[in-house]
Amino acid sequence: MTTHVTSFRMTNRMNCFKRVQPEVERFAMAHGLSPKCTFHLTLCLDELITNIIDYGYADFDEHPIDVTITLENGCVSVRIEDDAEPFNLLEAPPPELEVPLEERTKPIGGMGIHLVKTMMDGIEYTRKNGRNILLLRKCVCDDGALAGAPHE
Amino acid sequence: MTESKENGITILTVNGNLDAEGTQALEEKVLALLDAGETSLLFDFTGLDYINSSGLRILVLAYQRLKKASGKVAICGVRDYIQEVFEVSGYDKIFPLFRDRAGAVGSM
Repeated sequence: MTTHVTSFRMTNRMNCFKRVQPEVERFAMAHGLSPKCTFHLTLCLDELITNIIDYGYADFDEHPIDVTITLENGCVSVRIEDDAEPFNLLEAPPPELEVPLEERTKPIGGMGIHLVKTMMDGIEYTRKNGRNILLLRKCVCDDGALAGAPHE
Repeated sequence: MTESKENGITILTVNGNLDAEGTQALEEKVLALLDAGETSLLFDFTGLDYINSSGLRILVLAYQRLKKASGKVAICGVRDYIQEVFEVSGYDKIFPLFRDRAGAVGSM
């Protein structure tokens, strides 16, 4: 089966959404991903990279963030690699979903990561050579995402 | 983003993307309305393509401020994939979600 890949580099000085959204949109259009799947991918990249940019760096230097999106066998994989402080989102505490909003200590805390964990089918985190490597996986065959895919 | 008024309800119509810039503009607008004493806010998201957790934070802020003032906040017109964001975050239980503006204005 054909593998489709796109890669791009951004930095912590860039506007996250404006850099990420056109890349995801272009990839999704080219390979017939559904609007819902496109939204999930954009949202997850936006949430995760915004976190890296806002909380990941102890200095004020410019840092690269590398993103690779792969479509293979009905699954989209997203790889994010950065040289920010170690951060394993799998260990991040969940938001207080069961506590009424008025009583939550952090009403919105952790919500971005909760959205990512819910919308993706698989998450792997590795810290290697001073870099965070995050692998996200989402199966797109179950929501009709590839229904309109162009014929190979 | 446009602002209108119907039956004493202030309606904020947000089109396009609530990305970092859009969210900041919405926050400033919502804070100005709350400071001016508005107590009924309806967000019309019929033309909204994108929202993230920062955008949700503004809705929660409006909810928390209006709750103290015995006010009301509701949302209408969200498309299916944005509705899912409300469900996943549990906010569909906090905010009344209406199919369209007429239904929201009639019920608020």
